[in-house]
Amino acid sequence: MTALIAVQLHERRRSLLAWGLPLGLMSAFIVAIYPSVEDALATAIRDYPAALKEAFGIGELTNVEQYLEAEMLSLIVPLAAGYLAVRSIASGLSGAAESGRLDVLLSAPLSRNRLVASGFAATAIELAAVLVVSLLVTLIGGWLAGAGLSTGAALAGFANVWPLALLFAGLGIVVTGWSLRTNVVTGSVAGVLVAMYVADLIGRLDTSLDWVRYGSVFRYYGSAIEDGIDPLAFCGVVIVAVVLATFGALLFSRRDLSP
Amino acid sequence: MATIETEQLTKFYGGERGIEDVTIAVEEGEVFGFLGPNGAGKTTTIRTLLDLLHPTAGSARIFGLDSRRDSVAIRARLGNLPGDFGFGKAASGREALALLARLRGLDDLDRGEELARRFRADLDRPLGQLSRGNRQKIGLILALFHRPELLILDEPTSGLDPLMQEEFLALVGEERERGCAVFISSHELDEIERVCDRVGIIRDGRVIAVERVAELLGKTQRRVTVAFAEPVDPAELRAIGGVSDLEATDGRVTFHVSGELDAVVKAIARHPIADLELAHPTLEEVFLTYYREERD
Repeated sequence: MTALIAVQLHERRRSLLAWGLPLGLMSAFIVAIYPSVEDALATAIRDYPAALKEAFGIGELTNVEQYLEAEMLSLIVPLAAGYLAVRSIASGLSGAAESGRLDVLLSAPLSRNRLVASGFAATAIELAAVLVVSLLVTLIGGWLAGAGLSTGAALAGFANVWPLALLFAGLGIVVTGWSLRTNVVTGSVAGVLVAMYVADLIGRLDTSLDWVRYGSVFRYYGSAIEDGIDPLAFCGVVIVAVVLATFGALLFSRRDLSP
Repeated sequence: MATIETEQLTKFYGGERGIEDVTIAVEEGEVFGFLGPNGAGKTTTIRTLLDLLHPTAGSARIFGLDSRRDSVAIRARLGNLPGDFGFGKAASGREALALLARLRGLDDLDRGEELARRFRADLDRPLGQLSRGNRQKIGLILALFHRPELLILDEPTSGLDPLMQEEFLALVGEERERGCAVFISSHELDEIERVCDRVGIIRDGRVIAVERVAELLGKTQRRVTVAFAEPVDPAELRAIGGVSDLEATDGRVTFHVSGELDAVVKAIARHPIADLELAHPTLEEVFLTYYREERD
């Protein structure tokens, strides 16, 4: 299985540049401009409605970590990482079925469960690597601009994205158990990703609708850059991701692989 | 024990028929041709044998093992060329070979290199930059490099130029000598005739005949065209058993013959011949022969 993981990682090495670098550069830019906009922001934020600040996790924006959270880690980075996760799963399974690679791989003594497990593991490593690159670029940007970004807080903020994205990888495997069409897998899971974000947003804006947040992974995502990683939520989401991947592998092993 | 043994193997896609009651056996060291037009069920049969499709009914055993329950153990011992071979665009043949070797627990790629030289395959270019025929060569190498006990090849010569087709047919002969069973699906009768010991004919999802190749050709009609150097009474040929549809114009006689050719050849040889053409039956003509038998 390690051979298959290594090959997938080798093929996805460009993700570091295509996803990790842009996310890191955007985050670095946000961090770098913070010292120059700090005062104007504080004034503006004071006039924002409380519900809006709560919904977008804006708070008071009194430090660079809060600004990075509001601009990048509450929306752009998790959405991008979640989409990358399902895209990687889709390319490793449904994409491989469409290209004919799956038929060749499954001519070898390789079980479908191991094939799925290798795809999930490769995606988990790829996500971690992309987040590490983003974090490093962000830290370098903050250091060059003298923004005073806390390394520990930034590490927690980026690390907290990993289980959330992994959950969408697991969901992608479940959908692959039903459909081997790449656009169906990526489209439906990306839709769920956005729907979960919107559900969380609605629940925050209107406390009477708080219950809708329970179905969204964003409820358990929190704000690790400010509050630190919640180990229970972190591990819980990872476990759900693994359970989804296992269920998806079961569906995948039972389905026909039609050309 | 047969290398491949299916018993009323059936696959339906929802309500749509894929294959129905396919019962065949392929022996060790035998080259078995699976002949049928596009859509007849050849690929469905192969994908069911490989556990890529799950049968609706019936069973398949390979090396005496259940094709579903023991599919991983079976695949360790076979080589497969899918009908539409692909491995993505970015990977090179060498990368694909190295990955499959690792999945099979092999370190030695010498056989793969040897096959690449033989097929004049470029292992270093990304597969997306190769022509269909050159990709097919890579597919053949991946199917053969680990010296399997069973080869399952779906339309193996598709896209290969005539020289490489010859090379492939020679290789199949060598694999048979080694004791490898070979299951080849094709819609090219000529290819099947040259390399196979027995042939199964599938049409509309059902196997309508399993014959030795010689028997198959003996049953089917071949078209004979003879240009005689001097006038010949066509009745002489018409009287020979198995001759039908005879037409004679300007010293040229065209007719169909089924069964043994011996009497026809001897009758023709009694006259001076300017030209002679013996056309092999087309796949449709083969089917017509079997349909006629079924009706009778």
